[in-house]
Amino acid sequence: MQVDIPQVLFKNRHLGRPATIDEYMAGGGYEALRATIGQRTPAEVLQLVLDADLRGRGGAGFPAGRKWQGIPADHVGTRYVVINTDEMEPGTFKDRVLVNVDPHLVIEGIILCAYAVGACEGVFFIRPSYEGDAKLIEQETQVARERGYLGKNILGTEFCFDVHVHRSAGRYICGEASAQIKAISGLRPNPRKGGPRTSVRGLWDCPTIVNNLETLANLPGIVRNGPAWFKSLARSESGSGTKLYSVSGMVARPGCYELPIGVTIRDIIFTHAGGMPPGKTFKTVIPGGASTPYLPETLLDLEMDFDPMKKAGQRFGTASLMVFDKDTCLVGATLSLMEFFARESCGWCTPCREGIPYVRELLRRIEGGEGTEEHIGMLQEMLPVLDLAYCAFAPGAAEPLRGLLTHFMDEVRAHITEKRCPFGNPPPHVRGKACGTRPPQFGPTPCPEDQCPI
Amino acid sequence: MSPLPPELSTELHRLVTAVDNPREAAVDVMYALQHHYGYLCDEAMHRAAEVLGMTTLELESLATFYDYLYRRPVGRYVIHVCDSVVCWMFHQDSIFDYLCRTLGVPPGGTTEDGLFTVLPAACVGNCHNAPTMLINGRFYDRLTPEAVDAVIAELRAGTEEPVRCK
Amino acid sequence: MPDLIIDGRPVTVDKGVSVIEAAERAGVMIPRFCWHKSLGAAGACRLCAVMFVEGPVKGLEMSCMTPAADGMVVETGHPKAVAFRRQIIELLMANHPHDCPVCDEGGHCLLQDETISGGHSLRRFPGRKRTYQDQNLGPFIQHEMNRCIHCYRCARFYQDYCGYRDFGPMQNANRVYFGRFEDGPLDNPFAGNLADLCPTGTLTDKPGRFVARRWDCQRAPSVCLHCSLGCNVTALSRYRRVARIEARDNAAINGAFICDRGRYGFGYQSAQERPRAPLAAGRPATPEEALRAAAGLLAAAAKRHGPDAVAVVGGQRSTMETQAALIALARAAGWRAPAFFAAAREQAQARQALYALTPPRARSLADLAKADAVLVVGVSPLADAPMLTLTLRQAARAGAAIFLADPRPLALPLDHVHLPLAPRQLAAVLAVAAAGEDASGLIQQKFPLAPELWPRLEALAQAMAKAKRPALAYAPALAASLPGDDRVGLFPVLAQAGTAGAALLAPTDAPGLDELAAELAAGRIKAVIAVETDLFAAAPALAARLDALEALVVLDHLPTPTVAAAQVFLPTATLFETGGTLAASDGRLQRAEPVQAPGLSVLADGAGDHPPRDYARPLPGTDPAPAAFWCDRLGRALSLELPRHPLAEALAAHPVLADLDPVTLPAEGQRPTYPGREPATPESPPAQPAAEGLAVVMETPFFGGDELSRYAPLTADKTGPAVALLHPDDAAGLNLADGATVALDCGDAPATAAVRLHPGVARGVVVVPRLPRFDALPPNLGPCGLRRRETP
Repeated sequence: MQVDIPQVLFKNRHLGRPATIDEYMAGGGYEALRATIGQRTPAEVLQLVLDADLRGRGGAGFPAGRKWQGIPADHVGTRYVVINTDEMEPGTFKDRVLVNVDPHLVIEGIILCAYAVGACEGVFFIRPSYEGDAKLIEQETQVARERGYLGKNILGTEFCFDVHVHRSAGRYICGEASAQIKAISGLRPNPRKGGPRTSVRGLWDCPTIVNNLETLANLPGIVRNGPAWFKSLARSESGSGTKLYSVSGMVARPGCYELPIGVTIRDIIFTHAGGMPPGKTFKTVIPGGASTPYLPETLLDLEMDFDPMKKAGQRFGTASLMVFDKDTCLVGATLSLMEFFARESCGWCTPCREGIPYVRELLRRIEGGEGTEEHIGMLQEMLPVLDLAYCAFAPGAAEPLRGLLTHFMDEVRAHITEKRCPFGNPPPHVRGKACGTRPPQFGPTPCPEDQCPI
Repeated sequence: MSPLPPELSTELHRLVTAVDNPREAAVDVMYALQHHYGYLCDEAMHRAAEVLGMTTLELESLATFYDYLYRRPVGRYVIHVCDSVVCWMFHQDSIFDYLCRTLGVPPGGTTEDGLFTVLPAACVGNCHNAPTMLINGRFYDRLTPEAVDAVIAELRAGTEEPVRCK
Repeated sequence: MPDLIIDGRPVTVDKGVSVIEAAERAGVMIPRFCWHKSLGAAGACRLCAVMFVEGPVKGLEMSCMTPAADGMVVETGHPKAVAFRRQIIELLMANHPHDCPVCDEGGHCLLQDETISGGHSLRRFPGRKRTYQDQNLGPFIQHEMNRCIHCYRCARFYQDYCGYRDFGPMQNANRVYFGRFEDGPLDNPFAGNLADLCPTGTLTDKPGRFVARRWDCQRAPSVCLHCSLGCNVTALSRYRRVARIEARDNAAINGAFICDRGRYGFGYQSAQERPRAPLAAGRPATPEEALRAAAGLLAAAAKRHGPDAVAVVGGQRSTMETQAALIALARAAGWRAPAFFAAAREQAQARQALYALTPPRARSLADLAKADAVLVVGVSPLADAPMLTLTLRQAARAGAAIFLADPRPLALPLDHVHLPLAPRQLAAVLAVAAAGEDASGLIQQKFPLAPELWPRLEALAQAMAKAKRPALAYAPALAASLPGDDRVGLFPVLAQAGTAGAALLAPTDAPGLDELAAELAAGRIKAVIAVETDLFAAAPALAARLDALEALVVLDHLPTPTVAAAQVFLPTATLFETGGTLAASDGRLQRAEPVQAPGLSVLADGAGDHPPRDYARPLPGTDPAPAAFWCDRLGRALSLELPRHPLAEALAAHPVLADLDPVTLPAEGQRPTYPGREPATPESPPAQPAAEGLAVVMETPFFGGDELSRYAPLTADKTGPAVALLHPDDAAGLNLADGATVALDCGDAPATAAVRLHPGVARGVVVVPRLPRFDALPPNLGPCGLRRRETP
C-alpha cells in the first residue's frame, strides 16, 4: 500500500477486520459528532458540506449539500435519511469493503447527516448478498446506541435519531433513490419521475435524503478537518476528497483502493492495482461501473473526477474500474452486461423492458456467429431509444453498447465476417434470468429459450 | 393451514410492529416465512398477507419482483453463481456449467436430494475475487473446479445450518 | 396561463396541463398508450415523444411528462420524434402475437392504430416471442396476456384510481405480468372499465366476446338506467340485440368510466322471457285487440264507478316522455293522477331534493371530486350510486375528508369515517355538520346514547367548518333538513334513473302508492293501469289486493309478476329502442338515443339460421312500442284529446323546466335553474320516534338489485345471499348468533334470512338486501317481527 496516499476512509484498514468502536474512537472517531451536536447548528454543518463540495459517491455525483437543501425549510414533522447500500452495479464493491473496515465511520457519518437535515429516523437499505454486513451494522449500531450516539437525546441534547436496517430482496433498480423509497414502503420499486423530489416527498410522504454510504462516510472528516482540508485531498482542480476505487478484471491486484479524486486512470490500474497480470495486454477499461462506456487506451491519462470525465464523454459513475485484456471478447462482455441489465430492469418503460432484451438478442446472435450487418444498424438505432427511457437505468445500459459500437466496431464486424467469435468463445448460453421466483400458475410460460425450470 | 410455531409467530409480530408501517416489513416477513417453509409456497403467501394486512397479490407483486425470494421450491442451499461481466471474464460460464454438471441439474434446478439449487445471479459485489458465488450468505472467492468440489463436499457433510436472510 | 405552439397551432392552457393534453385541445392527437385523461401520465410507454424546438425544454421529450410552459414550440412530426416513436412501436410489437383476426379488440384497437400510423410494418427482430399463461378473471373480463404492451393503465386504474388490491403487476423486467394472485373473479366493481381502458386486446369484455365486431355494431349515445346518477354510456347493438355497453365520456358526470352494474345490466333487452306480445284477457292478441280491450275495461270501470275508480301507477325507471304521456293520459281521462312514489311525502322530498340545487349550490359528480370535505348522508355509495364511490375516492386521494352517515355497513375503497346511525338519527348529523367547529354540546345533546361516535362527529363538524369546498351528498328523505349555508355544495342521490323525472313532472297532488292501496282496500279503486313498474316490488300492499280489481292494464318490457297478473298487457320498448329524456340526480336533463329497432333479435328468430328464409311472414317480435305511444293510442281509443308532444308541453308549462327543449339538449346535459326551497314545501316529516323493534333498511345488491338488472341474465344470479345484517349488540339482545336463521315478518308469509353480525350496522337497524322476498317488509319490525327459526 502506498504510504504517501492519505487514507481517510480506510484509516483502519490495516486491522484486517472491522474496527471496533474503541479503535475507531482512538483515531478521533465521534469527535466530529461531539463537536457538532449541541455545538453547531444544522445549518453550519450543511454549510461545511456545501463548502467542501462533497459530491455523491453513488454514481450520479450530485452535490450532497444541495440535495439536503432540497428539504422544504418549513416542513414540520418527520424527516428520513436513507443510507443507500444497494450497490448492485457490476464491478462495484466499495461499500461492502468500507463497512467491513470501519462501521463506526459510516455510523458517525449517518448521524451527522441526520443532524444536518433534522432527520429522526434512518433506514439502512442493504442488498441481500451483503447479509453479513447487514448483521455487522445491526451489531455496531447497537454498540453506538449503548454509547449514547444513537437513540433518544443523543449526547444529552434534544437531538434524537435512530437507524434501522432494511433488507432488500435484490434488484439493481432498488439503488435508484425513488425506487429505494418505494422498496422500503413495500411497494414495487419502480422509480418515480416528475412530481416533487424525494427530499420534498419521500418515505411515507415525508422529506427523505437518500445518500450513498460512502458519501456519508466522508462527513466525519469534513466536519472535523474542514472543507479546505477535504478539497486539498483531491488531485484535480475541480475535485474534492478521496474516493474508493473498485478495481477488478484483468489486473494483477484487483481490490478496493482509497485514492484522491483526480488520480489518473493509468495511475490506478498500472500503479496501484499492479498493472496487467503476467502475459496479459491491456485493451480497455470500463471506468465507472457497468453503466459507463468502454474507455479507449488513448484516454488512460484522464483524471478520475466528475467534471473532467464528463468533458471527455466518459462517466465517473461509481469509480469501479473493470479492466479488459486483449484476449477478452468485448461483444461477449457487452452481452454479459446486457444480460445483467435485462434481468434487473423493473419493467416500467418500453426502452428498458423491451429495448434491452432486444439488444441482448442481437448481441447473442452476433457473438454466436449468426449476426448480420443489419443487426449492427439495429443496435445503433436502439441507442437513442435506450437514452430516452424513464429513468437512468436504460441510458446506463446504453453506455457500454455505445462504447462497443464507437471504439470496437472492428471486433463486432469480425464476429459477423468470421461467423463465429474471433476469441474462440462458444455460442453464448441462453440462460434467462435467475428466475427462482416464478410461481407455477402464471407468468411467462416455461420457454425452451429460457431453459430455466424455476 | 397448520399453525405456525409460536416463535415464528412472535418473530413475525415483532417484525411488523418494529416499523412505522407494516408494509415496510413485507420483505422481512416473507424472508422469515421463506426460511420456515423453505420457499414461499402459497400457504406462506397467505400467512404473510394475514400478518401484514396486505393482499396476496400485493405480496406476489413483490415476491416475483425480487431475486432472493423464491416462489418455487429450492434446495437447502441456493447457490447464487455470479454471472456478471467480471466473473464472466474469468470464465464464470465454465464454473456455472461445472456446477450444473457436478450436481446433475439444469440451471435453476434442484438436486434430487433437495440440497442444492443453482441459480445465475446478478453481480454479488465480490468482483475483486472473481469468479465468485454466494451460498448461505457467504462468498466463495476465485473459484476453480477443485474449489467448487471442496465447497460442495463441505456442504454435503452438513456442518452448516442454512442462514438465509430472515 | 402558458401560451405555446404545437404543430403551428397556438394554444393557451392552464398551468400544470401537460403538453399532450394541450395538444389535444389544439386538435393534435399525439400517439399514446399509457397516458390517459383520467389516469394521468405514467411515462411508461414512451410513445408520446415529441420534439421541443423552442422554450424551456429542448429536444426529444415525453409530452405526457412535460407540463406546458410559456414559449414552447412543439413539433410532433419532427423526423427524430417520428423515428423514435416508430422504434417504440417496433419494440412493443416484437412480442405481440399478431392475432388480430381472432382478437376482440381488432378494429378498435389503439395498438393497431398506433402501429399503422407509426409506420411500423416489418418485424426485423430475429428473436422468439415471449408468451404467457392467462388467468380466468371471472365472468366479465377476458385475459390474453400475450397481447399486453405493459402500459400499466390497468394496474393504475385498478389500484390507484379505484383502490382495489387484488389485481396488478407481478414479475419484473420483460416478464411483467398483470393479473391476480390466482384465478378468480375481480373484486373491483368497476373492473369492466379495464376493457375500455386497455389499449390492446389483453383485457376485453368477456360477455361481448366473439359476439360482434365493434364496427359492425349499431352504436348510439345512451344514458345508464341502473341508478340515478345518469352516467353516460354508449350502447352497441348487433342483430337487434344489445351486445355491450361502454362508458361514454361526460366530464361532468362519470368522466371516462362507469360501474359494472351499468355495464353488464343490459341483458333484459334481449332476454328470452321478455314479454313481447300484447295480451287481452290473458291471451295473446294483436295490438289493436289489446288496445280495444284496455280501453273497454278502463272506460267501463270509470263509467260504472266514476273516473276516480281508475288508478294510474307510473314507474321510476321510465323516460320523462313516458312519464309525461301517462300524466297527460290520466289528466285527459279524468282518472286519478299517476302515483310514482310509495308515498306522497317521498314525491315531495324528491322534488325538494332537486329544487335545492340552486346554481351556487348544485354540484356535479365531477365537482364533488374536487370538494375538500364531503358528507354523505343516507346513501350507501356502492349500493345506491356506484360511481359516487369512485368520485369520493378521487376526492379522498386529493386530501378531502370523507364522512358517511348511514345505517348500512360500508366497504369502500377509500379513507373515510363511517357514522353508523339509524335513519331517524341522520337529520341530526346534518345539524352537526352545520354547527361550526365547536359542536360538542350539540353532539352530546343529539346523540346522548352514542358516545362512541362523538369524536367522529366532532371531526365531521370541524372538517365541514374548515373546508373551503364542502359538499353534501344526501338521500331525498333528508332534503328538508339541508343546511341553508350556500358554501356547502349539494348532490342528491335518488332512488332510480327515472325518479328525478317523476318528481319534476308528477302533479304535486299526486297520490302515493300507499294511498292507492288504502283506497283499493276501501273499494274505491276498481281499475289500475300500471306503466313500467312492478307493483309487487313498488307497492306490495296494492299488489296483494289485485284480485279485487275489475281491470288491470299493464305496460312494460320486463317479465314481472305484475305483467303475469295483467288482464291486458301492452309490450313497451326499452330505452335502447326508444331513446328518451332522463333527469339525473344532480338535476341535469339528458337525452339518450335509440340504438336499434324493437323486434326479436335475428339470432333468436331464426335459431341461428340467418338470414330468415321465410320472407313472407312479418318481422317477429316487433310489437313492442314506446310506452308513450301506447298511452297516446289508448287515449285515442278512449276518444280523448291528448297533447301531441306530452313532454314538450309538460316542460313548457313547468315552473322550472320551461326553458328546456328536450330535443336540443347539449351533449353534457343541461341543468335548469332550480329555485331553491319551494314556497309551499311540506314540513319535514316529524322525526319518527324510536320505535320498538328494528328499523328495516334495504341495501340494493350491486348486481340484480335494481328492477332492470333483476331480469338481466348476466347479473340476475349475482345478488348475493339473503342475509339480515345486525349489530352484534342488537343480535346479542335478541339472543341471535351469527349464522342463525330468522323469519322476518313480511305480510302474509314470513321471509327467511340468515343472520350476519357486522359492527358497521347502526344500532336498532336490520339491513336486508333488496330482493323480491323482502319487498313486502314493513319499515319497522315490531318486537315480534324477527323470530329465530330452528334450523331443521
